[in-house]
Amino acid sequence: MSAIPLSRLQRWAFAIVPAVGLVELVAHVAQTRPAATEADWAASRAWVLANAKPEDLIAFAPKWIDPVGRMRFGDDVATLEREARPDETRFPRAIEVGIHGAHLAAFDGWHKSGSQRFGGVTVTTWENPSAARVLSDLVSMIDPRHAHVFRGDAECTWTHSHPESGGLGYGPAVPGDRFACPGGGFAGMSVVADLDYVPHRCIYAPPSSGPLRIRFDGVRFGHELHGHHAIYVEAERMKTGAPVTLSFSSGGASIGSIVHRDGDGWKPFELDTSQLDGQTGELTVEVSAPNGDRRQYCFEADTR
Amino acid sequence: MKLPSLRLPSRVGWRDHVVGAGLALVYVAWLLAGARSLGFPRDEGVYFAAGSSYFRWWHALFERGREMLQPGAIDAAFSVNSEHPPLMKTLFGASEWLLHEKWHVFADASTAFRLPGMLTAGLAIWVTYLFGARAWSRRAGVVAAILFALMPRVFFNAHLACFDVPITAMWTLCVYVHWRAQEKRTWGWAIALGVTYGLCLATKHNAWFLPAVLVPHALFVQRHEIWRALRAGRVSIPASIVTMFTVGPLVLYALWPRLWNDAIGGLQFWAKFMLNHEYYNIEFLGKNYFGPPSPKGYLPVMVLATVPTITILLFLAGAIDRLGVGVRRMRAWTLHLVHRDPHGISNRARSAGDPPRDPLETDLLLALAFCVAIGPFFLSKTPIFGGTKHWMPAYPVLALLAGRGFDLVASAMHRALPSLDDAKRQLAETVLFGCVLVAPLAETAHSHPFGLSAYVPLVGGTAGGADMGLNRQFWGFTTQTAAEEYLNPRAPRGATVFVDDTTWTAWSHMQEEGRVRGDLRVVGAPAEAMLSLVQHELHMNEVDYDIWIADGSDAPVYVVTHDDVPIVSIYGRR
Repeated sequence: MSAIPLSRLQRWAFAIVPAVGLVELVAHVAQTRPAATEADWAASRAWVLANAKPEDLIAFAPKWIDPVGRMRFGDDVATLEREARPDETRFPRAIEVGIHGAHLAAFDGWHKSGSQRFGGVTVTTWENPSAARVLSDLVSMIDPRHAHVFRGDAECTWTHSHPESGGLGYGPAVPGDRFACPGGGFAGMSVVADLDYVPHRCIYAPPSSGPLRIRFDGVRFGHELHGHHAIYVEAERMKTGAPVTLSFSSGGASIGSIVHRDGDGWKPFELDTSQLDGQTGELTVEVSAPNGDRRQYCFEADTR
Repeated sequence: MKLPSLRLPSRVGWRDHVVGAGLALVYVAWLLAGARSLGFPRDEGVYFAAGSSYFRWWHALFERGREMLQPGAIDAAFSVNSEHPPLMKTLFGASEWLLHEKWHVFADASTAFRLPGMLTAGLAIWVTYLFGARAWSRRAGVVAAILFALMPRVFFNAHLACFDVPITAMWTLCVYVHWRAQEKRTWGWAIALGVTYGLCLATKHNAWFLPAVLVPHALFVQRHEIWRALRAGRVSIPASIVTMFTVGPLVLYALWPRLWNDAIGGLQFWAKFMLNHEYYNIEFLGKNYFGPPSPKGYLPVMVLATVPTITILLFLAGAIDRLGVGVRRMRAWTLHLVHRDPHGISNRARSAGDPPRDPLETDLLLALAFCVAIGPFFLSKTPIFGGTKHWMPAYPVLALLAGRGFDLVASAMHRALPSLDDAKRQLAETVLFGCVLVAPLAETAHSHPFGLSAYVPLVGGTAGGADMGLNRQFWGFTTQTAAEEYLNPRAPRGATVFVDDTTWTAWSHMQEEGRVRGDLRVVGAPAEAMLSLVQHELHMNEVDYDIWIADGSDAPVYVVTHDDVPIVSIYGRR
């Protein structure tokens, strides 16, 4: 192979410019073509409906395609439990619906057990090598059949009302179904935007009017209490609010307390419940803060 | 019969104004053609109202005279949006009154409001062409003007009745007039600079930084005269500097009646507002920024991600060329200093290797104009919520250097193909021209009306921008597209709609102009709405989640997308 003389390369170096111009054009044309058709989405949905189990996570990749995924798959597949999950640890399997060859980093370390292509949509199945078995999920138990809520000595009543929401800066929506406390305060299931604006389904229990106590009945205990807590992003990002303390007890005995300070974001916690392992009983949660100003606090927990 | 030659004379003159104006006209026509498909951002609604208020005051002044000079009358008219100077708003209002209300040239009031901003985009193109043609060549000027026009973010902002493209035009015009004033050294050009600088001040506060460009440049260009005068015991100040600091403020004062009541107070308010400007939310590399410190990499990343790559490549070619010239000058100057040239640099004999002299120090001027326009965005306290629009005054310079880069590439091509006859050389140059412009043209045309969502192929286009966590939009203007694609054809009659980031003023303007169905009723919360919109920005996610709870469903009924990337989600109450 003979070397090209440098002077010849120099002579034709100008050609880099039109070449870059044309490459940019070709890239633009390629990038502006739709990644998937309606039929691709429909076919992938049909496959997922036929193969997904209730305990599977169904997620869309890349993250920004999520609204389209929710629209195409519907809320019976893209459920709130999946979309606003606390983390991925409880899911034994994930079905990832992706375009552009994207994958979610959450599944790094999981075993890929299958992949199907439906035109521009790729459906990948991932097995969780260390899935946790959830015994009781407190967020799913915040209803009058499983819980009682108190503010001080006063019991808060279960109400079925209109949800309350606002625009930017309002904070998590106040759910229509909630425990409403006399003199203010409430607890109910909502979705909080954490410090990274990620959604999490949680028990919205702001201690704005004093400490809230939630007693859950019929909780199946395992070896640990696993959970997360956060304050609505705009209320905690300035790091000027009071800390919020979350305390767990059962049968009058303390299980443990966790403090959420502004800036902690969606903060995970784990408490040892091995002494209660195998039992079913009452679990009391208390949410308190020395100052309730803008403490738009939300937590989730499960036993495992 | 022989047709007269279309070849332009070598001297840049009135014919070049025709070329510049022609380019400007085509661009303004293109902008007008797309005006109706672009919704109203938050700020535009405010500027529409301010424009009407300001212009009606001027109109009343000519009708009712002294009565309108009462402080109360002035304050009543000019207290609307008093944190920004008045020039463009007054022009927006004048245009609306004349071209929509009086002469019915435009059916849409908004198009009339927007026209002055579009014309300033044309002005920027015109001046960029002239600057390039005079500094280097007509070829460089044409390429510079077109590459400036074919920046998707410039194209987006050029549609709006806002100040970012106008200040870009005024900044560029000021730099150009100053450059000409240094050449001509007449009072006429000096006064022209003073007036232009006054207009610049009356356009936007970026003008405060222009003295940092023009003063050092004028002092450097006229250093010999200044030095000679000093040695003779006199102080010589360039006339252009004098007029900039005297005529300029007078023009601002004349155009801003708010200052007539309380000049110091008005100026203090303006300065305080801008120096303590609120920080708004904006996403960069997946993180939401809402206060200082601003990321230092914001400007370079956003420039690379939004300016067509071929433009950047040509800019680098041109900039390196000019930098090389500067380095060679510095080296020659240093050598003479080292060898203690008894005559000094100004009188020394030029050697063959020295770069050609430019008495106007064009490279220095362009470097200053570029660096001063972008410099504040490397400071940690400078808010970045405006995306790329706040450093847009640097873009004509970027384009000018790209034009110079094209000149170099074209020359290199001709050297590589010496055997071509004139016709083939011309054809080769046309092909090169096409290769350089076709991608920016395609990207710019495709970006509309999602100019703030669009990113260049270098980062993977719009989807690549979303992958990188770059901001997708702001100001809620994409609601109009949501209306065109879903609300207008499919919303139930009389439906209540939560419009999220879109102001109610913008919504009512869109209804007045038939862009959104008139029976749809806007409400303030998703829980009150039958249909709820979310314009996708990172910090708007919280509204998304609120809607999930308010509606009892997380599945939108429709998603407006651009190149697969969600722009607006529309939810329907189940």
